[in-house]
Amino acid sequence: MIRYAYFPGCASESTALSTTLANEFVFGRIGVDLIEIKDWNCCGATSAHVLSEALGLALPARALARAEADWPELDVVTGCASCYARLKLTNHRVRQDGGTRYMVEKILGRPYAAKREVLNFLDVLSRDDVKANIEEALMRTFRGKLRVACYYGCLNIRPCEVTGAKDRENPVAMDEIARLAGAVPVDWGYKTECCGAAHQNDAALEARPLAGRILHNAKECGADVLLTACPMCQMNLEMRQAEYIRKNRDKAVGRQTFPLLDVVLPPPAGKTIPVLSITELLAIAMGAGGERLRMDAHHVPVGRVIADALRDDAETEVFL
Amino acid sequence: MTDHETLQSLLDKADVRQYDCYQCGKCSGGCPMADAMDFGPRGIMRCAQVGSLGRILGSSTIWLCTGCYACVDRCPHDVNVPALIEEARYEAARRGIGRHDSDVLNKVFVTNLKIFGRSHEMILAGLYNLLALKPAQDVAALPHMLAKGMIGIKPNVIEGNDELAEMMQRACDWDKLEEKK
Repeated sequence: MIRYAYFPGCASESTALSTTLANEFVFGRIGVDLIEIKDWNCCGATSAHVLSEALGLALPARALARAEADWPELDVVTGCASCYARLKLTNHRVRQDGGTRYMVEKILGRPYAAKREVLNFLDVLSRDDVKANIEEALMRTFRGKLRVACYYGCLNIRPCEVTGAKDRENPVAMDEIARLAGAVPVDWGYKTECCGAAHQNDAALEARPLAGRILHNAKECGADVLLTACPMCQMNLEMRQAEYIRKNRDKAVGRQTFPLLDVVLPPPAGKTIPVLSITELLAIAMGAGGERLRMDAHHVPVGRVIADALRDDAETEVFL
Repeated sequence: MTDHETLQSLLDKADVRQYDCYQCGKCSGGCPMADAMDFGPRGIMRCAQVGSLGRILGSSTIWLCTGCYACVDRCPHDVNVPALIEEARYEAARRGIGRHDSDVLNKVFVTNLKIFGRSHEMILAGLYNLLALKPAQDVAALPHMLAKGMIGIKPNVIEGNDELAEMMQRACDWDKLEEKK
């Protein structure tokens, strides 16, 4: 049994409903035991470290120190790129710099030595033994009928000095996992471009094009589905597709944009692209049905694309 | 402290040597926000080289940086621009010239944590929209998310939230002590 201490992240309790269900399903099937860190707190995400450096380090350190005290032999894993970045950076800084460690321990009031690693889901799913387990757990595959654009997001990869990522401009870990499930990863240009993160809220006007460009390029490169490895990216890319698409189109033809219409009207047909997490893709390939995964919670409907890709598979029931 | 000394202290804290930068522009070339910024990362480095602290602190660049680290990752001299931008944000906040919207979001977010221990999306987005005077932002997605049970009224409160709030206070006090030094 492969075991990790697990930091779920706040999105797992709210907006990432279907991804969280898929995580449970997939990690159960492939024999990876995720033990939730007791009474974990929010990592501070994109906000705490902007207000105060000490706060930005202390929040992730609290959760990490708890994991270290309860299971000193386990690495910590998280499914969110933003959590991953904060936890990993804190771990790195405490390890590298005695002054930071002193400060963090003083603020926490408990020891924290950063002895174990912080990993993301892609690290775990890319392990050779886990990959073998994935292949064993597959019930049906997409047999080359589903083209996917793998979107890693910035913080799963960068800063490389902290994450130690090998392929910084063209990562392939997720592509390989998707290929196991019979999906075909497309070549495209926005694998590690930023989705805008919290700026989609506090600088919406400036940040909207970031997500719009990612979706546009994925679609142009022939992807049926965009795959993510972070619930925050997933929400940013999925929730406002109508807005992005209309804005892009109006800009291209030099037409006046009407922000209110963008928000109210449904997205133009045929222009949207469903966004799934990598674990959702695996869960479907491992036989989970759309109801069990609560696929209805997606802002952009995914059922049709998946059902089309699985249609001629005689062994499987229709996904819808 | 003169502006020059303040700038040098920000650079020291960020561990950035301004003359490492030779203005090649790879940072601004790869910055996803560059077209919305006034200076971009290269401009920030240029300001640091010519000692123009006021321009850095008053720029939109420091508030539009998403912290994606594309610039530092592609920099041939490993100049950590995001670290300098972060220090510049702290200094701008100390002088009370922050950007209203970012400030509101971050403060609402952290207050949320102090009370519940975890982020509560409804309260976060609701309070932010209210305080930043953007009542219509993202409300189109609200009915869907409520109907599917993705967000709700009930917050998740962690057991140790009192202890967490005290810890957060200690962290903020620590920063203030550092400043006095």
